[in-house]
Amino acid sequence: MVRALGWLSAIFLGVGLIMAFGVAPRESTQGNVQRIMYVHPPLAWVAYVAFAVVAAASIVYLVRRRPAADRLAHASAEVGVIFTGLAIATGSIWGKPTWGTWWTWDARLTSVAILFVMYVGYLLLRDTIDDRERAARYCAVLGIVAALDMPLVHFSVYWWRTLHQPPSLMKPGGFSGSPAILWPLLVNLVAFTLLYAYLVAKRARLLGAARGALA
Amino acid sequence: MPDNWGFVLAAYGLTAVVLGLYWRHLVRKEKELRTQKRTPSGTPVAERSREPSQSGHPRTEPASRGPRQP
Repeated sequence: MVRALGWLSAIFLGVGLIMAFGVAPRESTQGNVQRIMYVHPPLAWVAYVAFAVVAAASIVYLVRRRPAADRLAHASAEVGVIFTGLAIATGSIWGKPTWGTWWTWDARLTSVAILFVMYVGYLLLRDTIDDRERAARYCAVLGIVAALDMPLVHFSVYWWRTLHQPPSLMKPGGFSGSPAILWPLLVNLVAFTLLYAYLVAKRARLLGAARGALA
Repeated sequence: MPDNWGFVLAAYGLTAVVLGLYWRHLVRKEKELRTQKRTPSGTPVAERSREPSQSGHPRTEPASRGPRQP
């Protein structure tokens, strides 16, 4: 099952790459640098999904005390941190030629940076407490509290005047651009979501196997 | 506006490298775990030190404990 998910995500990533460079047109104002759009928003989308999963699994863990929920939260946080880091980095790379700066303390960028730091703290907290049950409990609380930053990240572009543009897809009224831009973006969203699911499944299985070896 | 292909390649390249390295790290860990399961010595000291203690309190100085003697 996990292997099949891996192959499926590889196929979608391949198709997404071909569509981003072969199907999507050259954007008239930004030029080809706009092609970063087929990787940056999918990375940010997966970061949202990952931390929403952390929060949901953490609630399940606190209510039911199921180790599987803790493993899912742990795996999702780890993968989420990687995707958030990449979203920040690719955004920065896109920002230099379009905004003229690698970084600015804009509301969207700052709230994402806070989200990133909080989940890095989540992973560090897990590693600093030896008692597994206690680490799981503390991290579940932190996982839920940190997820409260997500609405702030998403709505920051509406609530404050930011350099960052409003969302392209997750907005009232949906996507307003050309289908030649929409389809490559959608395929890449699916590809990165599948890749996330594959990596989390693999990581959660590893965590389960490592704990099984200890028992 | 110039095309800035360098920035495009940097964004895609960085994403591919980071995700590829993370995937390889998971595959390597999986292999290590499989090898450990096959060897009679069992779990390494670093992993064993993370077992919860009987009292529920963290164990002190896990790194200083030596491997379990047969």
